[in-house]
Amino acid sequence: MMNVLLKSTSFKDKRILGILIFVAVSLIIARITPDALTYIIGLTYLFIILAVSWDIIVGYAGQINLGHTVFVGIGAYTTALLQVPSRFQGTFFEFLSEMPRIPIFASIFFGGIVAGIVGFLIGVITLRLRGWYFALVTAILPLVFIETTIIGSGVFGGEEGFSVGLERALAPTSLGKYYIALALMLVSVTTMFMIVNSRVGLKFKAVREDFYLAESVGINTVNYKVLAFVISSFFAGITGAAIVHYRSTVSPGLYDIPLMLLIILAAVIGGLGTILGPIVGGFIVYLTRYWWLKGAISAFTIAGLPINDDIILYMILIALAILAPEGLWVRVRRFVSET
Amino acid sequence: MIELLMRILVYGATLSGIYALIASGFTLIFGVSRIMNFAHGAFFILGAYFGIALIHGIGLNPYLSTIISILMVGLLAAAMYKSIISPVREHEVMVIIVTLAFALIVEQVILLTFGEHGISFPSVIEGVVIVGTVLIPSMRLFVLAVAIIALIMLWTFIGKTRLGKEITAASQDAEAAMLIGLDVGRLLIVTVFISAILAALGGVLYAQVYAANPFIILKSLIFAFAIVILGGLGSVKGSIIASFIVGYILTAMIVLYGARWSELVALLIIIAILVLRPAGLLGAKEL
Repeated sequence: MMNVLLKSTSFKDKRILGILIFVAVSLIIARITPDALTYIIGLTYLFIILAVSWDIIVGYAGQINLGHTVFVGIGAYTTALLQVPSRFQGTFFEFLSEMPRIPIFASIFFGGIVAGIVGFLIGVITLRLRGWYFALVTAILPLVFIETTIIGSGVFGGEEGFSVGLERALAPTSLGKYYIALALMLVSVTTMFMIVNSRVGLKFKAVREDFYLAESVGINTVNYKVLAFVISSFFAGITGAAIVHYRSTVSPGLYDIPLMLLIILAAVIGGLGTILGPIVGGFIVYLTRYWWLKGAISAFTIAGLPINDDIILYMILIALAILAPEGLWVRVRRFVSET
Repeated sequence: MIELLMRILVYGATLSGIYALIASGFTLIFGVSRIMNFAHGAFFILGAYFGIALIHGIGLNPYLSTIISILMVGLLAAAMYKSIISPVREHEVMVIIVTLAFALIVEQVILLTFGEHGISFPSVIEGVVIVGTVLIPSMRLFVLAVAIIALIMLWTFIGKTRLGKEITAASQDAEAAMLIGLDVGRLLIVTVFISAILAALGGVLYAQVYAANPFIILKSLIFAFAIVILGGLGSVKGSIIASFIVGYILTAMIVLYGARWSELVALLIIIAILVLRPAGLLGAKEL
């Protein structure tokens, strides 16, 4: 019955139906899950934006970006400092401490803009060269930016980061934050989906598939690579900013490499260049890491083996890269459609 | 003033020599295979940790434990290449991801077994050398000497031996090398083995002067990248020259302003090169 119904509808209707079902399920789920889990699922939605936006530059434009978390961190610190300008007091940038307070959502958006600008500058320098240079430079950015939070610890709060205050949270309750995270994810992912399925998205793929052919049919490959990078960085920036107002604190962890590897794992599980894949991957990876895996590994550590959650995740990542480089989710879907 | 200059001169030479050992191996692997080995920093610091474990664990003397330790790292690197890089060679993204994941596993295992605090390798030489009015620890001069000897051996190996010439051929044009009957796959394993040994030796020397800690796995990559980009990706000669340029700039910064600026300076060096001369000093022309 369901099958007949699905077959009679067109591809586009199926997609809309899928989104409606997803929204309905996520609205219902929030009502029945305990508060702590609601909180984690909300963060998972934000994490999904990171995985999808990483997919734009890596999966679609084919450029290996190992510094996506830098833009998460830039967005995060931008909004945090806009909301708590008093952090500038007593520094060279004292004049900034008099900044007028702007609404939270404006400062989240501004976090995305700043991340996009930094992405533009780095992209213009590195993306005109062969792909290796982009990978090398983005790989070291997280370490450099973490160091800046320690050099400027008076403003950035050093290793601990700082609190932006509960009154500047996205919403007063976990449920409220959950709804806002859900809405932000739906808007962001839909926007990115429309971009990669537009003419611009086709050109991203052309650049990825055959650089010389793309050049010879008149596509300015450098411009499109930079554009993809700016879009990707912008969404990383607003997500980082949203995470700050979700958790009410900002810390260098948002710049750090474990988060980067988590994003990579999500995209690799889902399959690069698919949008839908990283969404599924994001769900699996984030909930596994912060809900199911939490503590399960400590049994090994008690047995004296040097193993922790991160090691397990990195091992899974290596195994997946070897066994299913085109994405586990893609494999599963193919397997289902063949049987 | 003279004392400050002497310090920069000697400290810079030591640091540069150590960097040259990491960077030349990284660029050698890249030259032969176009593989960017993000696990190279892991080989570097594992050299120090294996050596320290051998000394404290079974009481070997520092020289013997250094030799065993760098051979262990070489074998580990060859095994890593065979088991996790070789299956994904065709996927450029996956090569980077698996080597980075491997480096992070090593970092976590070291954190869990040795902790996050720095550990030093027991000194093999005590005392100081007095040059004019400046006291210089003999250790630093010894480290510099060992690094230079190792680099000369690498240079001789690449330029004079048959195997070395085959590796050079493969790095200039892998397909042509295959056409004249060279086994490029085997050459690559040899290259990985040699590069890992050089990095591990660098790690032992580093832990003689400074202290080894697990975070160096990633931090050493920053400086290695700055060096190989300046020297030109794939050029061993370029990377050795660049090591001394980057090493001296960083040492001057550290002596004058403190170590926390070194990452930022390395990034600025990289950006400056990419803007001004992206092929590096002696790089391949493909950009």
